[in-house]
Amino acid sequence: MSEMPRTTAESFRPHVAAASPLVRVRGLRVCYGDHEVLGGIDLDVYRGETMVILGPSGCGKSTLLRHLEGLAWPVAGSITIAGVEIAKASRRELARVRRLMGVSFQSAAMFNSMTVGENVALPLREHTDLADSTIRLMTRMKLQQVGLSGVEDLYPAQLSGGMRKRASLARALALDPEILLFDEPSAGLDPIIAAGIDQLILRLKEAFRMTMIVVTHEMQSAFLIADRMCMLDQGSILAVGSVAEIRAHPHPRVRQFVRRIPDGFDEGSTGYITGFEG
Amino acid sequence: MSFFESVGRSAIHQVEYVGALAVQFWRGLKFAIRVNPFGARRLRWKRMTLQMAEIGVRSLPVVCLVSGATGMIMALQSGAELRKFGAMEAVVNLVGTSMTRELGPLIAAIVVIGRSGSAISAEVATMVVTEEVDALRAMAVDPIDFVLAPKYLAMLAMLPCLTVAGVFSGILAGGVFTYFALDLTLLMYLRRTAEILLLRDIVSGLVKALVFGSIIVHVGCLEGFRVTGGPEGVGRSTTGAVVKSIFLVIGADLVCTAFFYFFWR
Repeated sequence: MSEMPRTTAESFRPHVAAASPLVRVRGLRVCYGDHEVLGGIDLDVYRGETMVILGPSGCGKSTLLRHLEGLAWPVAGSITIAGVEIAKASRRELARVRRLMGVSFQSAAMFNSMTVGENVALPLREHTDLADSTIRLMTRMKLQQVGLSGVEDLYPAQLSGGMRKRASLARALALDPEILLFDEPSAGLDPIIAAGIDQLILRLKEAFRMTMIVVTHEMQSAFLIADRMCMLDQGSILAVGSVAEIRAHPHPRVRQFVRRIPDGFDEGSTGYITGFEG
Repeated sequence: MSFFESVGRSAIHQVEYVGALAVQFWRGLKFAIRVNPFGARRLRWKRMTLQMAEIGVRSLPVVCLVSGATGMIMALQSGAELRKFGAMEAVVNLVGTSMTRELGPLIAAIVVIGRSGSAISAEVATMVVTEEVDALRAMAVDPIDFVLAPKYLAMLAMLPCLTVAGVFSGILAGGVFTYFALDLTLLMYLRRTAEILLLRDIVSGLVKALVFGSIIVHVGCLEGFRVTGGPEGVGRSTTGAVVKSIFLVIGADLVCTAFFYFFWR
């Protein structure tokens, strides 16, 4: 596997790319005890692009995202976001960078003791001096942006999984962030709701030209929303490129992942599905 | 792992825990004094008032009941012994001083550990497990500021109040005993109690309440913030919070009592 040519971020800079990347990851190495989760990865994400991070379960996608959010610290390497190196940033600098980012968590991470409206209003109350009436208005607008209306007074537990994800996204959008991070946006949702989330991401991309980093292993969704994709496996990057480049990538592991072939089967083989045929 | 290795590891773990508690205490104090009902921090004020109701108002009946029962037990037990020496009047002194200095704050703290310390730990641990704490950090909101500070302030306000209520209940229950055993009216009993109580007794009781309140909130939150695993981790953190809080409260009680004994006679 290691003999296969690796594509680099630079070779696939999309048309949306600005001169320097908004998010720059260099030599990121993360270990949990003796177990190395990320083994010195490099990645650039440019302003205005949607970077989808793909990979099998346990490959380190969510770990990478947690480090980008500044929620965990690496053993080695650096992450620079908007010119600030996260690991070396002061508390104040880190807070400034975090205000540039909106995060949509896999579990939605809504505050269960607060109503949906209070959840969405929280970043506005914390980081602005806006009047209550303005915050209420903005909360309604953010909820409408994600296709939710009239749910301000409900509690997160009263919403369906898809609605909770949308509400979580509305909260992430509250401060009009420059970068949006999604952790498995369509995980655990039925295909129709998942497609709705994809459409929502596409709408946001089109309307606001936000920089988005999406962690997922849902291929259909990834191909639809991505400008570029990055495939992680066993803690290292196998490929970075546009959708077409990833589809046609020569690396066997990438091809296996893209074509959904189980371990132990050859490409083109359909033996693994015979058990399910009538 | 050898015996010495395990002792060493355990010692390092304990020192690290105390260090984390000290850092959290300092940061919690810094944020707590900034809680106010205006501007961006009004949400914390609202959360603080809710916590005051939860910690204070809802614990009041239990604290009064347990303190009253303890006051009565103490009067009965001491009365039985003091009768032998013809010193039944000393029951008033004994109940008054021990409730004010020692048992009032301790009983209030133990009831609050059981009711609120465990609830604080379970709430914070659940927030960690459901990524709510991560969401706060990702929004550039410090969890110590948002979660701990309102609880801390509420505890600092309510535990002394509960202590005062508990002390009154205990003393009143002692008065019921003296009414029947000594023919002492409740008014005379209270007057005598007021005469024998010194400022030192009241101050030491209130200082202990503040110290115990700090321990309960900080241990509860630290156990919650350090939770690992899923729901079973929440259960472990709750148990840990109760056991460690009781241990530390009794240890702090000893230190405070010794301090007042030696430095404010």
